[in-house]
Amino acid sequence: MMIQIKDVTKRYGEQRAVDALSFNVARGEILGLIGPNGAGKTTTIRMLCGVVKPDAGQVRVAGLDPQSQGDEVRSQIGVLTETAELYSNLSGIENLRFFAELYGIDDPRRPHELMEEFGLADHKEKKAGAYSTGMKKRLGLAKALLANPPILLLDEPTSGLDPAGIAMVLDEIERLNSQKGVTVVLCSHVLHQLETVCQRYVIIDRGRTVAQGTLPELAEKCPGPTIVEVDADYILDGEAYRGIPARPLPVGDIQFTVSSRNEVPKLIRQLSQDADVYSVKLKGHDLESVYFRLLEGEKDE
Amino acid sequence: MNRRAVRAIARKDIMSITSNIQVWLPMLIVPLVFAVLFPIGASFAIRATDTSTSSDFQELLDVLEKLPQSSLDSLNGIFDSLITDQQRIAYMMFNYFMAPFFLMIPLMAASTISVDSFVGEKERGTLEGLLLSPVDMRSIFAAKALASLIPAIAISLTSFVLFAVCANVFAWPIFGRLFFPSIAWAPLILLVMPAIGLLAVLINVFISARVSTFQAGYQMSGFLVLPVIALMIGQFTGIMLLDAKVLLAIGAALIIVDYALLMAITKRLDKAQIFESQVR
Repeated sequence: MMIQIKDVTKRYGEQRAVDALSFNVARGEILGLIGPNGAGKTTTIRMLCGVVKPDAGQVRVAGLDPQSQGDEVRSQIGVLTETAELYSNLSGIENLRFFAELYGIDDPRRPHELMEEFGLADHKEKKAGAYSTGMKKRLGLAKALLANPPILLLDEPTSGLDPAGIAMVLDEIERLNSQKGVTVVLCSHVLHQLETVCQRYVIIDRGRTVAQGTLPELAEKCPGPTIVEVDADYILDGEAYRGIPARPLPVGDIQFTVSSRNEVPKLIRQLSQDADVYSVKLKGHDLESVYFRLLEGEKDE
Repeated sequence: MNRRAVRAIARKDIMSITSNIQVWLPMLIVPLVFAVLFPIGASFAIRATDTSTSSDFQELLDVLEKLPQSSLDSLNGIFDSLITDQQRIAYMMFNYFMAPFFLMIPLMAASTISVDSFVGEKERGTLEGLLLSPVDMRSIFAAKALASLIPAIAISLTSFVLFAVCANVFAWPIFGRLFFPSIAWAPLILLVMPAIGLLAVLINVFISARVSTFQAGYQMSGFLVLPVIALMIGQFTGIMLLDAKVLLAIGAALIIVDYALLMAITKRLDKAQIFESQVR
Protein backbone atom coordinates (compact mmCIF):
# COMPACT_ATOMS: atom_id res chain seq x y z
CA MET A 1 0.00 0.00 0.00
CA MET A 2 1.30 3.46 -0.86
CA ILE A 3 -0.89 5.25 1.68
CA GLN A 4 -2.31 3.81 4.87
CA ILE A 5 -4.57 5.65 7.26
CA LYS A 6 -5.72 3.61 10.24
CA ASP A 7 -8.13 4.82 12.93
CA VAL A 8 -6.84 8.35 12.65
CA THR A 9 -8.43 11.04 14.79
CA LYS A 10 -7.69 14.75 14.85
CA ARG A 11 -9.36 17.17 17.23
CA TYR A 12 -9.39 20.94 17.19
CA GLY A 13 -10.67 21.81 20.62
CA GLU A 14 -13.97 20.03 21.10
CA GLN A 15 -14.47 19.45 17.41
CA ARG A 16 -13.27 16.25 15.72
CA ALA A 17 -12.06 17.18 12.26
CA VAL A 18 -11.19 13.54 11.60
CA ASP A 19 -12.76 10.72 13.61
CA ALA A 20 -11.33 7.19 13.50
CA LEU A 21 -10.77 7.50 9.77
CA SER A 22 -9.36 4.50 7.94
CA PHE A 23 -8.57 3.88 4.30
CA ASN A 24 -5.72 2.72 2.08
CA VAL A 25 -4.48 3.73 -1.33
CA ALA A 26 -2.67 1.17 -3.43
CA ARG A 27 0.42 2.03 -5.41
CA GLY A 28 -0.57 3.41 -8.82
CA GLU A 29 -4.21 4.02 -7.84
CA ILE A 30 -6.24 7.18 -8.42
CA LEU A 31 -8.46 7.65 -5.41
CA GLY A 32 -11.24 10.19 -5.12
CA LEU A 33 -11.56 11.57 -1.59
CA ILE A 34 -15.00 13.17 -1.46
CA GLY A 35 -17.26 14.68 1.13
CA PRO A 36 -19.10 17.87 2.01
CA ASN A 37 -17.34 21.00 3.23
CA GLY A 38 -15.79 20.43 6.65
CA ALA A 39 -15.76 16.65 6.20
CA GLY A 40 -12.03 16.45 6.98
CA LYS A 41 -10.56 16.09 3.48
CA THR A 42 -8.03 18.92 3.79
CA THR A 43 -7.06 17.84 7.32
CA THR A 44 -6.47 14.34 5.97
CA ILE A 45 -4.27 15.66 3.16
CA ARG A 46 -2.29 17.69 5.68
CA MET A 47 -1.81 14.68 7.95
CA LEU A 48 -0.48 12.72 4.98
CA CYS A 49 2.04 15.52 4.44
CA GLY A 50 3.04 15.46 8.09
CA VAL A 51 2.20 19.11 8.78
CA VAL A 52 -0.73 18.24 11.02
CA LYS A 53 -0.23 15.79 13.86
CA PRO A 54 -2.99 13.22 14.40
CA ASP A 55 -4.18 12.77 17.97
CA ALA A 56 -4.63 9.05 17.50
CA GLY A 57 -4.11 6.39 14.87
CA GLN A 58 -1.46 5.66 12.35
CA VAL A 59 -0.53 7.27 9.06
CA ARG A 60 1.96 5.78 6.64
CA VAL A 61 3.03 7.18 3.28
CA ALA A 62 5.32 4.99 1.18
CA GLY A 63 6.02 3.10 4.37
CA LEU A 64 7.21 6.23 6.18
CA ASP A 65 5.77 8.03 9.17
CA PRO A 66 4.92 11.61 8.11
CA GLN A 67 5.49 12.83 11.67
CA SER A 68 8.95 11.46 12.37
CA GLN A 69 10.07 11.32 8.73
CA GLY A 70 8.21 14.37 7.48
CA ASP A 71 10.81 15.85 5.16
CA GLU A 72 11.41 12.48 3.52
CA VAL A 73 7.68 12.01 3.01
CA ARG A 74 7.24 15.52 1.65
CA SER A 75 10.05 14.96 -0.86
CA GLN A 76 7.92 12.22 -2.42
CA ILE A 77 4.66 14.12 -2.51
CA GLY A 78 3.47 16.73 -4.96
CA VAL A 79 0.73 18.77 -3.32
CA LEU A 80 -1.76 21.12 -4.87
CA THR A 81 -3.68 22.98 -2.21
CA GLU A 82 -6.97 24.73 -2.74
CA THR A 83 -5.20 28.09 -2.96
CA ALA A 84 -2.20 27.75 -5.22
CA GLU A 85 0.35 29.11 -2.67
CA LEU A 86 2.39 31.17 -5.11
CA TYR A 87 4.59 34.19 -4.51
CA SER A 88 2.76 37.00 -6.24
CA ASN A 89 5.85 39.23 -6.40
CA LEU A 90 7.79 36.56 -8.34
CA SER A 91 7.16 35.70 -11.97
CA GLY A 92 5.74 32.32 -12.95
CA ILE A 93 9.15 30.93 -13.87
CA GLU A 94 10.76 32.42 -10.74
CA ASN A 95 8.16 30.65 -8.61
CA LEU A 96 8.99 27.31 -10.23
CA ARG A 97 12.74 27.92 -9.99
CA PHE A 98 12.39 28.74 -6.31
CA PHE A 99 10.46 25.59 -5.52
CA ALA A 100 12.85 23.59 -7.71
CA GLU A 101 15.63 24.67 -5.33
CA LEU A 102 13.59 23.57 -2.33
CA TYR A 103 12.94 20.17 -3.92
CA GLY A 104 16.58 19.77 -4.96
CA ILE A 105 15.92 19.66 -8.70
CA ASP A 106 19.14 20.00 -10.67
CA ASP A 107 17.73 20.13 -14.20
CA PRO A 108 17.33 23.82 -15.08
CA ARG A 109 15.03 22.91 -17.98
CA ARG A 110 12.39 21.34 -15.75
CA PRO A 111 10.58 24.58 -14.81
CA HIS A 112 10.50 25.64 -18.48
CA GLU A 113 9.18 22.24 -19.58
CA LEU A 114 6.34 22.48 -17.09
CA MET A 115 5.50 26.04 -18.12
CA GLU A 116 5.21 24.77 -21.72
CA GLU A 117 3.20 21.75 -20.72
CA PHE A 118 0.64 23.81 -18.84
CA GLY A 119 0.31 26.49 -21.48
CA LEU A 120 2.07 29.17 -19.46
CA ALA A 121 5.20 29.67 -21.58
CA ASP A 122 3.98 33.01 -22.96
CA HIS A 123 3.35 34.28 -19.44
CA LYS A 124 6.41 32.96 -17.63
CA GLU A 125 7.99 36.37 -17.02
CA LYS A 126 4.74 37.88 -15.76
CA LYS A 127 4.32 38.26 -12.01
CA ALA A 128 2.24 35.43 -10.57
CA GLY A 129 0.07 38.01 -8.84
CA ALA A 130 -1.14 39.13 -12.27
CA TYR A 131 -2.15 35.61 -13.33
CA SER A 132 -5.81 34.72 -13.70
CA THR A 133 -7.32 32.15 -11.31
CA GLY A 134 -6.99 29.43 -13.90
CA MET A 135 -3.37 30.31 -14.65
CA LYS A 136 -2.52 30.26 -10.95
CA LYS A 137 -4.10 26.84 -10.64
CA ARG A 138 -2.08 25.55 -13.59
CA LEU A 139 1.12 27.01 -12.16
CA GLY A 140 0.29 25.40 -8.81
CA LEU A 141 -0.10 22.06 -10.56
CA ALA A 142 3.18 22.58 -12.37
CA LYS A 143 4.78 23.25 -9.01
CA ALA A 144 3.33 20.01 -7.63
CA LEU A 145 4.89 18.09 -10.51
CA LEU A 146 8.36 19.66 -10.34
CA ALA A 147 10.06 16.77 -8.61
CA ASN A 148 8.24 14.03 -10.58
CA PRO A 149 6.74 12.79 -7.31
CA PRO A 150 5.41 9.23 -7.04
CA ILE A 151 2.44 10.56 -5.04
CA LEU A 152 0.15 13.44 -5.89
CA LEU A 153 -2.30 14.98 -3.45
CA LEU A 154 -4.57 17.30 -5.35
CA ASP A 155 -7.17 19.46 -3.62
CA GLU A 156 -9.69 20.88 -6.12
CA PRO A 157 -7.27 20.72 -9.07
CA THR A 158 -9.83 21.90 -11.61
CA SER A 159 -11.44 24.78 -9.72
CA GLY A 160 -11.17 28.06 -11.62
CA LEU A 161 -10.26 26.36 -14.90
CA ASP A 162 -12.08 26.73 -18.20
CA PRO A 163 -13.26 23.55 -19.99
CA ALA A 164 -10.01 23.26 -21.94
CA GLY A 165 -8.01 23.63 -18.75
CA ILE A 166 -10.13 21.04 -16.98
CA ALA A 167 -9.64 18.56 -19.79
CA MET A 168 -5.88 19.23 -19.79
CA VAL A 169 -5.58 18.65 -16.03
CA LEU A 170 -7.63 15.46 -16.07
CA ASP A 171 -5.69 14.16 -19.08
CA GLU A 172 -2.42 14.95 -17.31
CA ILE A 173 -3.53 13.06 -14.19
CA GLU A 174 -4.47 10.05 -16.31
CA ARG A 175 -1.21 10.21 -18.24
CA LEU A 176 0.92 10.42 -15.10
CA ASN A 177 -0.94 7.50 -13.64
CA SER A 178 -0.92 5.26 -16.69
CA GLN A 179 2.61 6.06 -17.91
CA LYS A 180 4.48 6.65 -14.68
CA GLY A 181 2.35 4.80 -12.15
CA VAL A 182 1.86 7.91 -10.02
CA THR A 183 -0.47 7.37 -7.05
CA VAL A 184 -3.06 10.12 -6.89
CA VAL A 185 -5.48 11.24 -4.19
CA LEU A 186 -7.97 13.68 -5.65
CA CYS A 187 -10.33 15.89 -3.67
CA SER A 188 -13.03 17.63 -5.63
CA HIS A 189 -16.62 18.76 -5.36
CA VAL A 190 -17.11 18.31 -9.10
CA LEU A 191 -18.07 14.65 -8.92
CA HIS A 192 -18.71 14.04 -12.60
CA GLN A 193 -15.09 15.05 -13.29
CA LEU A 194 -13.84 12.56 -10.73
CA GLU A 195 -15.78 9.81 -12.45
CA THR A 196 -13.64 10.19 -15.55
CA VAL A 197 -10.33 9.55 -13.76
CA CYS A 198 -10.77 7.93 -10.36
CA GLN A 199 -10.66 4.20 -9.92
CA ARG A 200 -11.90 4.11 -6.36
CA TYR A 201 -13.52 6.49 -3.92
CA VAL A 202 -13.59 7.19 -0.20
CA ILE A 203 -16.58 9.18 0.95
CA ILE A 204 -16.13 10.95 4.28
CA ASP A 205 -18.48 13.06 6.34
CA ARG A 206 -17.86 14.71 9.70
CA GLY A 207 -14.38 13.15 9.74
CA ARG A 208 -15.60 9.57 9.35
CA THR A 209 -15.56 7.10 6.48
CA VAL A 210 -19.08 6.76 5.08
CA ALA A 211 -18.20 4.29 2.36
CA GLN A 212 -15.34 3.30 0.13
CA GLY A 213 -14.92 1.29 -3.02
CA THR A 214 -15.30 1.45 -6.78
CA LEU A 215 -18.41 3.13 -8.17
CA PRO A 216 -20.30 -0.16 -8.73
CA GLU A 217 -19.37 -1.24 -5.19
CA LEU A 218 -20.61 2.04 -3.77
CA ALA A 219 -23.83 1.78 -5.80
CA GLU A 220 -24.50 -1.69 -4.38
CA LYS A 221 -24.28 -0.28 -0.87
CA CYS A 222 -27.21 2.05 -1.54
CA PRO A 223 -29.57 0.35 -3.97
CA GLY A 224 -32.21 2.56 -5.39
CA PRO A 225 -34.30 2.97 -8.49
CA THR A 226 -32.51 3.43 -11.76
CA ILE A 227 -33.61 6.36 -13.90
CA VAL A 228 -33.27 5.85 -17.64
CA GLU A 229 -33.51 8.86 -19.96
CA VAL A 230 -34.10 7.88 -23.55
CA ASP A 231 -34.09 9.97 -26.70
CA ALA A 232 -36.55 8.06 -28.89
CA ASP A 233 -39.27 8.64 -31.48
CA TYR A 234 -42.02 7.46 -29.18
CA ILE A 235 -45.05 9.30 -27.94
CA LEU A 236 -45.90 8.31 -24.43
CA ASP A 237 -49.53 7.54 -23.75
CA GLY A 238 -50.21 7.97 -20.08
CA GLU A 239 -47.72 7.67 -17.23
CA ALA A 240 -46.33 4.24 -17.96
CA TYR A 241 -44.80 2.14 -20.74
CA ARG A 242 -45.57 -1.59 -20.54
CA GLY A 243 -46.08 -1.18 -16.77
CA ILE A 244 -42.87 0.77 -16.25
CA PRO A 245 -43.41 4.29 -14.78
CA ALA A 246 -42.52 6.90 -17.41
CA ARG A 247 -42.92 10.59 -18.08
CA PRO A 248 -41.92 12.93 -20.91
CA LEU A 249 -39.13 15.42 -20.26
CA PRO A 250 -39.16 19.05 -21.44
CA VAL A 251 -36.27 18.39 -23.88
CA GLY A 252 -38.24 15.69 -25.65
CA ASP A 253 -36.66 12.67 -23.97
CA ILE A 254 -38.63 10.12 -21.98
CA GLN A 255 -37.72 9.26 -18.40
CA PHE A 256 -38.31 5.69 -17.21
CA THR A 257 -37.96 4.46 -13.62
CA VAL A 258 -36.92 0.83 -13.24
CA SER A 259 -36.29 -0.93 -9.95
CA SER A 260 -32.75 -2.00 -10.83
CA ARG A 261 -30.20 -1.57 -13.59
CA ASN A 262 -30.72 -5.25 -14.60
CA GLU A 263 -34.07 -4.29 -16.13
CA VAL A 264 -32.57 -1.71 -18.45
CA PRO A 265 -31.55 -4.03 -21.35
CA LYS A 266 -35.06 -5.49 -21.57
CA LEU A 267 -36.62 -2.03 -21.55
CA ILE A 268 -34.37 -0.82 -24.38
CA ARG A 269 -34.97 -3.94 -26.46
CA GLN A 270 -38.75 -3.49 -26.16
CA LEU A 271 -38.62 0.23 -26.88
CA SER A 272 -36.38 -0.36 -29.91
CA GLN A 273 -39.10 -2.54 -31.37
CA ASP A 274 -41.67 0.22 -30.93
CA ALA A 275 -39.59 3.22 -32.00
CA ASP A 276 -36.18 4.46 -33.10
CA VAL A 277 -33.91 4.92 -30.08
CA TYR A 278 -31.12 7.53 -30.44
CA SER A 279 -29.53 7.63 -26.98
CA VAL A 280 -29.83 6.10 -23.52
CA LYS A 281 -28.59 7.71 -20.29
CA LEU A 282 -28.56 5.95 -16.94
CA LYS A 283 -29.02 8.05 -13.85
CA GLY A 284 -28.90 7.02 -10.23
CA HIS A 285 -25.68 5.05 -10.79
CA ASP A 286 -23.46 8.01 -11.41
CA LEU A 287 -21.13 9.14 -8.66
CA GLU A 288 -23.21 12.15 -7.72
CA SER A 289 -26.41 10.13 -7.21
CA VAL A 290 -24.61 7.41 -5.26
CA TYR A 291 -22.80 10.02 -3.15
CA PHE A 292 -26.03 11.77 -2.13
CA ARG A 293 -27.80 8.47 -1.39
CA LEU A 294 -24.92 7.32 0.78
CA LEU A 295 -24.75 10.59 2.69
CA GLU A 296 -28.50 10.55 3.21
CA GLY A 297 -28.29 7.03 4.50
CA GLU A 298 -25.51 8.08 6.87
CA LYS A 299 -27.61 10.97 8.20
CA ASP A 300 -30.60 8.66 8.75
CA GLU A 301 -28.43 6.37 10.84
CA MET B 1 21.05 21.84 7.19
CA ASN B 2 19.85 22.14 3.61
CA ARG B 3 22.21 24.87 2.37
CA ARG B 4 20.69 25.02 -1.07
CA ALA B 5 17.25 25.68 0.37
CA VAL B 6 18.68 28.19 2.87
CA ARG B 7 20.25 30.15 0.00
CA ALA B 8 17.07 30.00 -2.08
CA ILE B 9 14.77 31.14 0.72
CA ALA B 10 17.15 33.87 1.93
CA ARG B 11 17.62 35.11 -1.64
CA LYS B 12 13.87 35.19 -2.22
CA ASP B 13 13.22 37.08 1.01
CA ILE B 14 15.97 39.62 0.36
CA MET B 15 14.70 40.13 -3.20
CA SER B 16 11.21 40.79 -1.92
CA ILE B 17 12.64 43.58 0.27
CA THR B 18 14.92 45.14 -2.32
CA SER B 19 12.35 45.02 -5.11
CA ASN B 20 9.72 46.88 -3.13
CA ILE B 21 10.48 50.56 -2.61
CA GLN B 22 7.65 50.83 -0.11
CA VAL B 23 9.57 48.42 2.11
CA TRP B 24 13.20 49.50 1.76
CA LEU B 25 12.78 53.26 1.56
CA PRO B 26 11.29 53.73 5.06
CA MET B 27 14.02 51.43 6.42
CA LEU B 28 16.68 53.81 5.13
CA ILE B 29 15.18 57.08 6.35
CA VAL B 30 16.14 56.82 10.02
CA PRO B 31 19.68 55.56 9.32
CA LEU B 32 20.16 58.39 6.81
CA VAL B 33 19.05 60.95 9.39
CA PHE B 34 21.49 59.54 11.98
CA ALA B 35 24.32 58.99 9.52
CA VAL B 36 24.16 62.08 7.34
CA LEU B 37 21.87 64.81 8.58
CA PHE B 38 22.89 64.61 12.23
CA PRO B 39 26.71 64.86 11.78
CA ILE B 40 26.31 67.67 9.26
CA GLY B 41 23.85 69.55 11.48
CA ALA B 42 25.82 68.96 14.67
CA SER B 43 29.11 70.03 13.04
CA PHE B 44 27.63 73.28 11.79
CA ALA B 45 25.92 73.91 15.12
CA ILE B 46 29.14 73.42 17.10
CA ARG B 47 31.17 75.48 14.63
CA ALA B 48 28.64 78.31 14.72
CA THR B 49 28.18 78.48 18.47
CA ASP B 50 30.20 80.54 20.92
CA THR B 51 30.61 77.87 23.57
CA SER B 52 31.43 80.46 26.25
CA THR B 53 28.01 82.07 25.99
CA SER B 54 25.72 79.25 24.89
CA SER B 55 23.81 77.80 27.87
CA ASP B 56 23.20 74.45 26.11
CA PHE B 57 26.89 74.00 25.46
CA GLN B 58 27.73 75.05 29.02
CA GLU B 59 25.42 72.29 30.23
CA LEU B 60 27.27 69.80 28.03
CA LEU B 61 30.61 71.00 29.36
CA ASP B 62 29.27 70.59 32.90
CA VAL B 63 28.36 66.96 32.10
CA LEU B 64 31.89 66.38 30.83
CA GLU B 65 33.39 67.83 34.00
CA LYS B 66 31.16 65.75 36.21
CA LEU B 67 31.91 62.42 34.53
CA PRO B 68 32.61 59.62 37.03
CA GLN B 69 36.27 58.86 37.54
CA SER B 70 35.90 55.51 35.78
CA SER B 71 34.55 57.28 32.71
CA LEU B 72 37.26 59.94 32.86
CA ASP B 73 39.89 57.21 33.17
CA SER B 74 38.50 55.52 30.10
CA LEU B 75 39.03 58.65 28.06
CA ASN B 76 42.75 57.94 28.51
CA GLY B 77 44.01 61.42 28.35
CA ILE B 78 42.28 62.14 25.08
CA PHE B 79 40.79 65.27 26.57
CA ASP B 80 44.24 66.52 27.34
CA SER B 81 44.94 66.68 23.62
CA LEU B 82 41.74 68.61 22.91
CA ILE B 83 42.41 72.30 23.23
CA THR B 84 39.06 74.03 22.79
CA ASP B 85 35.64 73.43 24.30
CA GLN B 86 34.31 73.01 20.76
CA GLN B 87 36.72 70.13 20.21
CA ARG B 88 35.80 68.50 23.52
CA ILE B 89 32.07 68.78 22.81
CA ALA B 90 32.44 67.60 19.23
CA TYR B 91 34.64 64.67 20.27
CA MET B 92 32.22 63.52 22.96
CA MET B 93 29.19 64.09 20.74
CA PHE B 94 30.42 62.02 17.83
CA ASN B 95 32.55 59.36 19.52
CA TYR B 96 30.38 58.64 22.55
CA PHE B 97 26.93 60.15 22.57
CA MET B 98 26.12 58.90 19.06
CA ALA B 99 27.31 55.35 19.74
CA PRO B 100 23.99 53.96 21.07
CA PHE B 101 22.22 55.13 17.89
CA PHE B 102 24.36 52.64 16.02
CA LEU B 103 22.82 49.93 18.14
CA MET B 104 19.36 51.23 17.33
CA ILE B 105 19.95 51.05 13.59
CA PRO B 106 20.52 47.26 13.37
CA LEU B 107 17.69 46.72 15.86
CA MET B 108 15.21 48.72 13.82
CA ALA B 109 16.30 47.36 10.43
CA ALA B 110 16.39 43.77 11.68
CA SER B 111 13.01 44.05 13.41
CA THR B 112 11.14 45.32 10.37
CA ILE B 113 12.31 42.45 8.20
CA SER B 114 12.45 39.64 10.75
CA VAL B 115 8.96 40.17 12.17
CA ASP B 116 7.67 39.77 8.61
CA SER B 117 9.60 36.53 8.09
CA PHE B 118 6.91 33.97 9.00
CA VAL B 119 3.80 35.99 9.73
CA GLY B 120 4.24 37.95 6.49
CA GLU B 121 4.23 34.70 4.50
CA LYS B 122 1.14 33.65 6.41
CA GLU B 123 -0.63 36.91 5.60
CA ARG B 124 0.33 36.61 1.92
CA GLY B 125 -0.87 32.99 1.78
CA THR B 126 2.51 31.44 0.96
CA LEU B 127 3.47 29.88 4.30
CA GLU B 128 1.61 26.63 3.65
CA GLY B 129 3.53 26.01 0.43
CA LEU B 130 6.84 26.62 2.21
CA LEU B 131 5.98 24.31 5.12
CA LEU B 132 4.73 21.60 2.73
CA SER B 133 8.14 21.51 1.04
CA PRO B 134 10.73 18.92 2.10
CA VAL B 135 12.90 21.58 3.76
CA ASP B 136 13.52 21.09 7.49
CA MET B 137 12.53 23.80 9.95
CA ARG B 138 16.11 24.55 10.97
CA SER B 139 16.97 25.44 7.38
CA ILE B 140 13.84 27.57 6.97
CA PHE B 141 14.59 29.37 10.24
CA ALA B 142 18.26 29.90 9.29
CA ALA B 143 17.22 31.29 5.90
CA LYS B 144 14.72 33.69 7.43
CA ALA B 145 17.29 34.82 10.00
CA LEU B 146 19.94 35.40 7.33
CA ALA B 147 17.51 37.31 5.13
CA SER B 148 16.85 39.64 8.05
CA LEU B 149 20.44 39.91 9.30
CA ILE B 150 22.23 40.60 6.02
CA PRO B 151 20.26 43.76 5.11
CA ALA B 152 20.36 44.94 8.74
CA ILE B 153 24.15 44.61 8.89
CA ALA B 154 24.51 46.18 5.44
CA ILE B 155 22.40 49.19 6.43
CA SER B 156 24.27 49.52 9.74
CA LEU B 157 27.74 49.35 8.18
CA THR B 158 26.81 51.75 5.40
CA SER B 159 25.37 54.16 7.97
CA PHE B 160 28.58 53.95 9.97
CA VAL B 161 30.75 54.72 6.94
CA LEU B 162 28.50 57.62 5.92
CA PHE B 163 28.56 58.94 9.47
CA ALA B 164 32.36 58.71 9.65
CA VAL B 165 32.76 60.54 6.34
CA CYS B 166 30.25 63.27 7.20
CA ALA B 167 31.64 63.76 10.72
CA ASN B 168 35.25 64.08 9.61
CA VAL B 169 34.47 66.27 6.59
CA PHE B 170 32.09 68.69 8.25
CA ALA B 171 33.90 68.84 11.61
CA TRP B 172 37.28 69.26 9.91
CA PRO B 173 37.39 73.00 10.65
CA ILE B 174 37.02 72.17 14.38
CA PHE B 175 39.84 69.62 14.55
CA GLY B 176 41.97 70.08 11.47
CA ARG B 177 42.49 66.34 11.41
CA LEU B 178 40.59 63.06 11.38
CA PHE B 179 39.02 62.56 14.79
CA PHE B 180 36.44 59.85 14.25
CA PRO B 181 36.12 56.97 14.92
CA SER B 182 37.85 56.37 18.23
CA ILE B 183 39.21 52.94 19.10
CA ALA B 184 35.99 52.13 20.99
CA TRP B 185 34.14 51.95 17.70
CA ALA B 186 36.01 48.83 16.62
CA PRO B 187 34.27 46.46 19.09
CA LEU B 188 31.02 48.38 18.60
CA ILE B 189 30.93 47.93 14.82
CA LEU B 190 32.61 44.55 14.55
CA LEU B 191 31.16 42.79 17.57
CA VAL B 192 28.28 44.53 19.34
CA MET B 193 26.38 45.71 16.27
CA PRO B 194 26.23 42.28 14.54
CA ALA B 195 25.51 40.56 17.86
CA ILE B 196 22.61 42.87 18.70
CA GLY B 197 21.31 42.54 15.15
CA LEU B 198 21.42 38.77 15.51
CA LEU B 199 19.65 38.97 18.87
CA ALA B 200 16.86 41.04 17.33
CA VAL B 201 16.61 38.65 14.39
CA LEU B 202 16.47 35.50 16.52
CA ILE B 203 13.83 36.87 18.85
CA ASN B 204 11.71 38.41 16.10
CA VAL B 205 11.80 35.42 13.76
CA PHE B 206 10.75 33.23 16.69
CA ILE B 207 7.93 35.64 17.55
CA SER B 208 6.94 35.83 13.87
CA ALA B 209 6.41 32.06 13.78
CA ARG B 210 3.95 32.33 16.64
CA VAL B 211 1.87 35.46 16.20
CA SER B 212 -1.14 35.74 13.95
CA THR B 213 -0.52 39.15 12.40
CA PHE B 214 2.43 41.35 11.49
CA GLN B 215 1.06 44.07 13.79
CA ALA B 216 1.06 41.71 16.78
CA GLY B 217 4.62 40.65 16.03
CA TYR B 218 5.86 44.19 15.64
CA GLN B 219 4.24 45.24 18.92
CA MET B 220 5.85 42.35 20.77
CA SER B 221 9.30 43.12 19.36
CA GLY B 222 9.20 46.68 20.69
CA PHE B 223 10.69 45.71 24.04
CA LEU B 224 14.08 45.09 22.41
CA VAL B 225 14.88 48.80 22.30
CA LEU B 226 14.70 49.16 26.11
CA PRO B 227 18.27 48.03 26.85
CA VAL B 228 19.58 50.36 24.12
CA ILE B 229 17.64 53.26 25.63
CA ALA B 230 19.23 52.43 28.98
CA LEU B 231 22.66 52.56 27.36
CA MET B 232 21.79 55.90 25.77
CA ILE B 233 20.83 57.32 29.15
CA GLY B 234 24.10 56.04 30.56
CA GLN B 235 26.00 57.70 27.74
CA PHE B 236 24.27 61.06 27.93
CA THR B 237 24.54 61.28 31.69
CA GLY B 238 28.10 59.94 31.74
CA ILE B 239 27.15 57.19 34.20
CA MET B 240 28.63 54.58 31.95
CA LEU B 241 30.62 55.50 28.90
CA LEU B 242 30.73 52.92 26.18
CA ASP B 243 34.49 52.66 25.93
CA ALA B 244 36.35 49.78 24.27
CA LYS B 245 36.43 47.61 27.41
CA VAL B 246 32.74 48.06 28.15
CA LEU B 247 31.83 47.36 24.53
CA LEU B 248 33.97 44.24 24.42
CA ALA B 249 32.20 42.99 27.54
CA ILE B 250 28.77 43.81 26.11
CA GLY B 251 29.70 42.13 22.82
CA ALA B 252 30.88 38.98 24.56
CA ALA B 253 27.71 38.85 26.67
CA LEU B 254 25.55 39.28 23.57
CA ILE B 255 27.36 36.49 21.74
CA ILE B 256 26.70 34.16 24.69
CA VAL B 257 23.03 35.18 24.78
CA ASP B 258 22.75 34.74 21.00
CA TYR B 259 24.22 31.26 21.19
CA ALA B 260 21.97 30.21 24.08
CA LEU B 261 18.92 31.62 22.28
CA LEU B 262 19.83 29.84 19.07
CA MET B 263 20.15 26.52 20.89
CA ALA B 264 16.84 27.06 22.70
CA ILE B 265 14.99 28.10 19.54
CA THR B 266 16.26 25.25 17.36
CA LYS B 267 14.94 22.76 19.93
CA ARG B 268 11.47 24.30 19.64
CA LEU B 269 11.19 24.34 15.85
CA ASP B 270 8.34 21.97 15.13
CA LYS B 271 6.86 22.16 11.64
CA ALA B 272 3.50 20.66 12.61
CA GLN B 273 3.17 23.00 15.59
CA ILE B 274 3.94 26.07 13.48
CA PHE B 275 1.64 24.86 10.68
CA GLU B 276 -1.29 24.26 13.00
CA SER B 277 -0.90 27.58 14.77
CA GLN B 278 -0.27 29.65 11.66
CA VAL B 279 -1.96 28.07 8.68
CA ARG B 280 -5.14 26.46 9.91
